[in-house]
Amino acid sequence: MSIDVVMPQMGESIFEGTITKWLKKAGDKVERDEPLFEISTDKVDAEIPAPSAGVLKEIKVAEGQTVPVQTVVAVIDSNGAGAASVATASAAPAPAKPEAPKAPAKSEAPREEIPKPESAKAAPSPAPAPQAARPAPATAAKAPTSGDGNKVRSSPLVRRLAKDHDIDLTQVPGTGAGGRVAKRDILGAIEGGAARAGTSSASATSPAALSASPAAAARPSAPPPPASGATQAHAGFDSAVPREKMYFGNYEVQPMTVMRQRIAEHMVLSKRVSPHVYSIDEADVTGIAALRAKLKGKFEETTGTKLTFMPFFVRAAVEALRAYPTVNASVDGTNIVLHRDCNIGIAVALDWGLIVPVIKNAEEKNFLGLARTMNDLAERARTKKLKPEEVAESTFSITNPGVFGGLMGLPVINQPNVAILGLGTIEKRPVVIDDAIAIRSMVYLTLSYDHRVVDGAIAHQFMGKIKHTLENWTESIL
Amino acid sequence: MAPVTMLEAIRQAIFEEMDRDPAVISIGEDIGGYGGAFKVTEGLLARFGPERVIETPISETAIIGAACGMSYLGLRPIAEMQFIDFIACCFNQVTNFVAKGHYLWGAPAPMVIRGPSGGGVHGGPFHSANPEMYFVHTPGLKIIYPSTPYDAKGLLKSAIRDNNPVLFFEHKFLYRRIKEELPEDDYTVPIGKAVTRREGRDLTILTYAAMAHTCIEAAAALEKEGVDAEVIDLRTLLPLDKEAILASVKKTNKLLIVHEDTRTGGIAGEIASLVCEGAFEDLDGPIQRVTSLDTPVPYAPSLEEHFLPNVAKVVDAARELARY
Amino acid sequence: MSPSYPAAKTKTSAAPALTRDTHLGLYYYMRLNRAVEDQMVKLFRQNKIVGGLYSSLGQEGISVGTAYALEKRDWMAPMIRNIGALLVKGVRPRDIFTQHMAKFTSPTLGKDGTSHFGDLKNLHIVSPISMLGDLIPVMTGVAMAGRYLGQNIVTMTWIGDGGSSTGAFHEGLNLAAAQRASLVLILENNQWAYSTPVSKQVPLRDLAERGRAYGITSVSVDGNDVVAVYRTAKSAVDQCRAGDGPVLIEAKTHRMRGHAQHDPAEYVPKEMREYWEARDPITRYEKFLTENKIWNAADKKEIEARIEKVLNEDREFAENSPMPPPELAEQGVYCDGCHTIEADWQRPKSEVTPPKTTFDTTLQVKDFGGIDQGFNVPTETVTGQTEPPPIKKSAKPAQASGNGASAPASSKSSAAKSKSAKAPVRKGRR
Repeated sequence: MSIDVVMPQMGESIFEGTITKWLKKAGDKVERDEPLFEISTDKVDAEIPAPSAGVLKEIKVAEGQTVPVQTVVAVIDSNGAGAASVATASAAPAPAKPEAPKAPAKSEAPREEIPKPESAKAAPSPAPAPQAARPAPATAAKAPTSGDGNKVRSSPLVRRLAKDHDIDLTQVPGTGAGGRVAKRDILGAIEGGAARAGTSSASATSPAALSASPAAAARPSAPPPPASGATQAHAGFDSAVPREKMYFGNYEVQPMTVMRQRIAEHMVLSKRVSPHVYSIDEADVTGIAALRAKLKGKFEETTGTKLTFMPFFVRAAVEALRAYPTVNASVDGTNIVLHRDCNIGIAVALDWGLIVPVIKNAEEKNFLGLARTMNDLAERARTKKLKPEEVAESTFSITNPGVFGGLMGLPVINQPNVAILGLGTIEKRPVVIDDAIAIRSMVYLTLSYDHRVVDGAIAHQFMGKIKHTLENWTESIL
Repeated sequence: MAPVTMLEAIRQAIFEEMDRDPAVISIGEDIGGYGGAFKVTEGLLARFGPERVIETPISETAIIGAACGMSYLGLRPIAEMQFIDFIACCFNQVTNFVAKGHYLWGAPAPMVIRGPSGGGVHGGPFHSANPEMYFVHTPGLKIIYPSTPYDAKGLLKSAIRDNNPVLFFEHKFLYRRIKEELPEDDYTVPIGKAVTRREGRDLTILTYAAMAHTCIEAAAALEKEGVDAEVIDLRTLLPLDKEAILASVKKTNKLLIVHEDTRTGGIAGEIASLVCEGAFEDLDGPIQRVTSLDTPVPYAPSLEEHFLPNVAKVVDAARELARY
Repeated sequence: MSPSYPAAKTKTSAAPALTRDTHLGLYYYMRLNRAVEDQMVKLFRQNKIVGGLYSSLGQEGISVGTAYALEKRDWMAPMIRNIGALLVKGVRPRDIFTQHMAKFTSPTLGKDGTSHFGDLKNLHIVSPISMLGDLIPVMTGVAMAGRYLGQNIVTMTWIGDGGSSTGAFHEGLNLAAAQRASLVLILENNQWAYSTPVSKQVPLRDLAERGRAYGITSVSVDGNDVVAVYRTAKSAVDQCRAGDGPVLIEAKTHRMRGHAQHDPAEYVPKEMREYWEARDPITRYEKFLTENKIWNAADKKEIEARIEKVLNEDREFAENSPMPPPELAEQGVYCDGCHTIEADWQRPKSEVTPPKTTFDTTLQVKDFGGIDQGFNVPTETVTGQTEPPPIKKSAKPAQASGNGASAPASSKSSAAKSKSAKAPVRKGRR
């Protein structure tokens, strides 16, 4: 075994030593503690004994040379019997045995980067370098700006509450010192529901303002460190390729609105949490189309509300949900939460995004009730007058991608539902009936469902029920 | 029992503990027949005799050193500093012998060092000290600074029974000024726990010792202005009751710290740091403090009054903070 | 003025009243002391010792001779150059090695080094701190507590000539004297405090004079004569145990090495070093044991073999021990129940537990502090303008009292007084 011989530290403030004389030469046998070499330092000269028995294998530092303390000056080759001691000739200590009870792990407070408040008019200059700030959701650390570019004064508490409740501080009047937004102001804003919606909310800035100054709302800044569980919140913003690869040629950077960020997060999480399986069916809605055509005018006249196809589908869905309650559920760990209410979320496309208002207790409404509720919700969705509770607590969702063309869509489940029904375009197609070709109004129906709790058999039967209801419409609509 | 003063409560604690446990002894200057400079130990010698009530020369280093040595044999000495200001004379013994022994070589020192502290009594610069922070900065010690007779008695008992060295500060302004009824039975107050003197919603006033009473008075005045202040009395400075501090800040979101100690290096700075570490996002305003000036304690009453915090200063600061 | 206590000897005292076992024990521990320190010098130069290393070369007679006079129940608090005392008390060489090497197996788990360790329960050793003199009030407290608990113990600690100038020395010794504490204080006058010779810091040749100022028994002794040291210490320990108050022993010696390993001590005059080299305590003792046929060559060899064995074993143990784990740094600031604190009562607790007849707290002051009885130190009375009242001839001895104060016995000689106040010089003071 090789034993290092080092220049010792002869005093607290001594940092180097000079070898004045080697008492042995390479190849000599040495005994443990036998004088091996002499040194000279600032304070004292000394004779240094060998740390181990063996053969002096190599002298690394010659007489007359000055080296720092701890430098290896020679190597001893210790033979087995003589070298019982651990190679502690170097100053490195033997590895510590973990006998002492482990002290509790130091709890580190997450170190927040001090946010850099920036003015609103920053030109969209991207930061290709990876260490630049990544686009992040509106965090409590940022000072959001109002339209005229002044920062909003508040406090750590206020900013946190604003972030937790998705409130744009620029829209909250401040009654604190110097006009700052104080605790009472933000609490009032939360209770009043101003400029706020549930999971996917529009930011308070109007779409027009958004396009005018794309850098106005969410501004790139250092994302806050993940709190426990907060990794979910940022799942929507992972890149599959290094960021630099996205920036080339001509481009324009458009920061995401809060709503878009929420949508992004939700979509990624939904796909991550629920194994999506898709069931496709088609329904012959010729009868319903005819009914609608016939009664449209009268319906509107009598009820004051438009007659669309949607209530038919919702009614069919509700019947199916009652027949197959597993599809009207949520998953909590190893528990399935079977909802007794049928709260149907209807996806509404907006100019600036997507929102899902909810028809509560659809199972208690008749056709007219459904129609009215849906129209009202859609209208208020477009005018941003929805209340927070109107976009929450859905148990099943329906989306209508067909309205924009295309045969069908395969939607993402609206968590925490376990299924979502997609409606394709209603169009006339040739179909086979009784071995003859007929032209019928057909619509593709797709069901995306969570295979943790909904199996194919149920899904297909569920769809079958919807199809049956639609194809054999009996309920009077007026 | 009739209400007793804080001084009387302290004496009761010493008497009762010396009655209960023959390992408890008292040592200090003039504590015997004279009964101590403030009469805290009056009657002690007659009851327990010179073996257990030991009078010493003027030798703070020797008093604390001897008490330390006694504690190594399992006694529980209560060492008196005639004025806590004189603890400066034995700073080495306290910080290098007493405080470090358990950590370094496993020798606990179950002793109490007690003495009259604080100002507002025209004592001048050497009889009005609040030296707590020299020792809050010394790992291994516990530091207690009560504000009521009930707490003084209960905490002194806890200190005597504790295996660690405890510094027990007795605010001399409070010695005879406040009275309280005490329970008949033996009771202790736990070291390291603050107490809420007044519940409130708008801001937290954190304080200790004589200032606790100042703050309660200030809170009453603030109530009339519509500011609802919560007053928390720390009672123990080391170890600090971090949970209580953070819980109150999370509730009211504003913090004002009031102490009679001088400003720089006073415990307000330490607490402000703790709150930033533990409750930054619960703060709706900057952490403020009302303290004495960064000077020695002056002698003339007009000077000392300017030096010390008072109800008006606390009310002003609290009002400002509430308005922020 | 020269004190009339035993003069410093340069020859080993003859005709010992010690047993052969005691002789061989003293020799064994002196040799072990030196061997342990030699070994540590080597370890230091092999960079295995963390921090500094201090040597008591030439002073082994004092460490060993004084500690040998203690009983198992007695308490000691050694200083940095009293490794010999630790070994006598029962500390093993491995504990000294691991302390210096900061190993996890050291008595302090690596938390402090050199001789900064103790043992309250078994060996009754109090750890020193680096500040000098502070052990004296602490050991006074230990003695006071031991008396209170009925343990009949004696405490012993050491101080150097340099350390005897600290405030703690004076406060501690004064309290010990006032309390008649059973403290034996060994003042090792090794002529040097770091690089300062004793003559530059104390205007006394014999530091035992310092003890006189506190009214306690003070003696000087040849520190390199281990038998003289032992006998003096034994007599002091016996006196303390009898309740006669503290004893100061000035042991004269020389520090043969520098202050620490980094100090070559070139400031020591060559002749001084040679003077003391000729008086090396171990060499002297070997000569004495041989001349007086107390031992033979076989005894010596056996002792050397025993020392070599224990040294090798303990050094191996120390070198193979691990360093402490880093998290240990966070632990142990408070005692949170890790120790059970219980005094060892050797007298009935009822003796000190009230209720009892109330103690009489009336203050008895018998000595008014006047000038009638003359003074204990030589002085001159200067006649003033006012006529002092006539001095009465009184045979009553002067005494002071109070709580546990000792009485400076000025009662010994009564009246060498006359009216013109010629103050006699007291002789024969202990």
